[in-house]
Amino acid sequence: MRRNRGAAACAALLCLLSGCAGGTDYAQQHTVALVVKSTETEFWLSVFAGAEAAATEYNLTLSITGPDAEEDYAAQNQMVDEAVRAGAQAIVFSAIDYENNAVAIDAASRAGVKIVAIDSNVASDAVSTYIGTDNYAAGQMAAQAALDRVDGTLRVGVVNYDISSANGQERERGAREVLTASGRAEIVSVINTLAEAEYAKADTAALLREHPEINVLIAFNEPTSVGAARAVEQLGLADSVFLVGFDSNVATVDALQEGTVDALVVQNPYAMGYLGVESAYRLLSGQTGELARIVDTSTQIVDRENLFEEDSQKVLFAFDLD
Amino acid sequence: MKAGVSRTGLRITTILVSMVVGVVAVILCCCMLFFLNRYRSAMVQGALTSSAQAVSQVSSTVGTYLQGMRQAMTVVEQSMMESAENRDRLLNAFLTFRPDVVAVTGYSPSGKLLDCWCLGHEPREPVYQNLSFDLERARSAGGAYMTAPHVESLFEGYYPWVVTMTIPLVSGNQTAWVSLDLSFSNISDHINTVSIGQRGYCFLMDKQGNIIYHPQQQLLYAGLKAEDTTALAALEDGSYADDTVIYSLTSVAGSDWRVVGVSYVDELVNRSFQEMLRLSLSLFAVLLAAAVLISVLLSRLLARPLRGLAGAMERFESDADHFTYRPVGGTREVQELSGSFEHMVGRIQQLMTTVREEEVNLRKTELKALQAQINPHFLYNTLDSIAWMCEQGRNADAVKMIHALARLFRISISKGHELIPIAKEIEHAESYLQIQKYRYKNQFTYQFDVDPACLEYYCNKITLQPIIENAINHGLDLLVDEGCITVQVRQDGQDIVFTVRDNGVGMSEEMIRTVLKQGQQDRTGIGIRNVNDRLQIYFGRQYGLHITSEPDEGTCVEIRMPKIQEGDYETK
Repeated sequence: MRRNRGAAACAALLCLLSGCAGGTDYAQQHTVALVVKSTETEFWLSVFAGAEAAATEYNLTLSITGPDAEEDYAAQNQMVDEAVRAGAQAIVFSAIDYENNAVAIDAASRAGVKIVAIDSNVASDAVSTYIGTDNYAAGQMAAQAALDRVDGTLRVGVVNYDISSANGQERERGAREVLTASGRAEIVSVINTLAEAEYAKADTAALLREHPEINVLIAFNEPTSVGAARAVEQLGLADSVFLVGFDSNVATVDALQEGTVDALVVQNPYAMGYLGVESAYRLLSGQTGELARIVDTSTQIVDRENLFEEDSQKVLFAFDLD
Repeated sequence: MKAGVSRTGLRITTILVSMVVGVVAVILCCCMLFFLNRYRSAMVQGALTSSAQAVSQVSSTVGTYLQGMRQAMTVVEQSMMESAENRDRLLNAFLTFRPDVVAVTGYSPSGKLLDCWCLGHEPREPVYQNLSFDLERARSAGGAYMTAPHVESLFEGYYPWVVTMTIPLVSGNQTAWVSLDLSFSNISDHINTVSIGQRGYCFLMDKQGNIIYHPQQQLLYAGLKAEDTTALAALEDGSYADDTVIYSLTSVAGSDWRVVGVSYVDELVNRSFQEMLRLSLSLFAVLLAAAVLISVLLSRLLARPLRGLAGAMERFESDADHFTYRPVGGTREVQELSGSFEHMVGRIQQLMTTVREEEVNLRKTELKALQAQINPHFLYNTLDSIAWMCEQGRNADAVKMIHALARLFRISISKGHELIPIAKEIEHAESYLQIQKYRYKNQFTYQFDVDPACLEYYCNKITLQPIIENAINHGLDLLVDEGCITVQVRQDGQDIVFTVRDNGVGMSEEMIRTVLKQGQQDRTGIGIRNVNDRLQIYFGRQYGLHITSEPDEGTCVEIRMPKIQEGDYETK
């Protein structure tokens, strides 16, 4: 009798144990929100591709949002708030405004949300890791590309975007440094335009008309590069103006072949998206030991010479964006 | 066992529990190790198989893709044989029918782009770089050849990934080579969606280990991820597992491409293995606990009755007489043991009784023999005295002597009874004293002081006579003055106390001891020792003689026995 009771107790215990063991097996799916600057440009589409690949790999629920205009930091802050309300455990964030986005990020952090910054950092201590281009170095690369390929004195016009963007300012600082150091370059003018091709085109055309001596143009992101290329083409200055653009899309690649654009500084948006979401996963699963404060995704110069080299093809033309 | 003796050896409970638990633990350990080992290898095997299956599916998809490309090429080749007008019509229809064909291009023997068929796109002027055709390679290939995936570079604003197949055209056609660009996105999409486990993936490489397509191309390019393709290229087709990663390789039929599947041991094997390990460990703990419980219960079942038995034996050892055995329950063996012990206890107690009875009987027999011995000796002396009295003409004295002698013998025999009324015993002692007084020519006097209440009780016969004999022989024989013997009988609670006191020379302590222990060896007859022994056998140790003596003052012998009614001890 007693032994039977013992056996029954053992069986019950066993069931309980296996039940517990079974319960721990399936960890719940983490929720990650990706809040970016834009959902339009190829740069960001490539970021999304990387982020989605990582989300699939690490079994995460991923939501992607971004404002319509690449200057609308208020909308971005609102998106961060909404993501927190919707139960995001981590936010992968690309700040439009280095200073003004900090409020929302700090609030999200106080709500227990982990923060990963990609592409553009934000002025908050809550950021666990920053993944993106070394913008200062990228700016230096852009200037160096012009210096390497243009002889004589460089009269540089800079087409930058939103002045509150840390990235743009860093890039410009890097470029300025290299140009000044070279001793044969001067920056004729700097314009800050909206990050939309049409505005950039108009502003660049105005700049070129005002300063016809400009023989080098440097544009610091994708829309401004496209806009600058269109302006140069419109004014028929493809041969006389050396244009260094940032990031690639169909338009700039076409322009590169046609000679309007002469060099492109190509970032690695896919890696930013992928690593951003991967870092979020690591933060959520407690593997914080493997996270570096800053991860530099690679940057490459593409010009007509290496445009169709194997590596360049893979960088410039995403498989999923046919 | 005495309390002072220390016990060595282990309790049966300890032995049983540790043995059972030990054996169970060892068996469980072995089973667990064996099982886990088998489980792990089965898991690894399963992972290898699923990896190989995924890879072979991708391989066959890619194979089908390439096959489809060759078929398409056949159609294109046939179309090229037609007249220019027909050719355009056929190829346009073909392109409509096959949306995955991006472009068909024709080249002159010098590699100049002659024709391009593509729906909705015209080649740019001039073409900056044509990745779909490489004159040197076309020449050196000597036949059909196929490129790795590349970007279609002929068009403006249209850069799909394609794989190009180029064949030389025979006969005097002005087009020497024709290339077919087939969209690669179907394949890349397919490869992207393949997952082996949660994080596993597939990629394409050629036989030299150059990566043709990798779902995370950008990461590889950025140096954030690496594939050891050199080592992989050296491997045959098949599945390989190391500590962390499982690689599966399959060649794609009809090309030098190979599909590589990468999956992680950790998520495919280790996770469920750890789960199983945890489960096994808890099972192990539960089984071990069950073993402990069962063995404790079992040993209780065995040990408790044994301990009860041991306790009973101890009690029996310390007091065999008053031990009553209560049988111990338990298993059949213990019950048998208990039964045997009960039987043994019964036997021993029976034997003890028998031995005691035999002892008593022996003493009685001895006593009777001694009585038989003493009487003739005493009789001769007395008869001598009587004869001497008759000679002297003291007839009255002689008559008294003869009466006393007759009384003495009558009481001595008492029809064979051992116990006689105290009155009779007093009478016996008086007769003896009378006879001895004549024999010792009135050298002593005697007197009786008897509590009349005592007379009805019984006592052993010939109890007083040996004491009086000792008093006369030891005390008075050597005395110069007239001796005096006093016999007193009193009640003392539940006992009767006889006291024989003389005023003789007395006895030393040593003599008292000798008298009580050894008896009078120099004399025949019932000694003092015998009297003592007899009382103690009959009534117990607390009864018997007590001698106090004072040299030159006299000796006092105290005889203590319980009050006995008629019939109390008749059986003995």
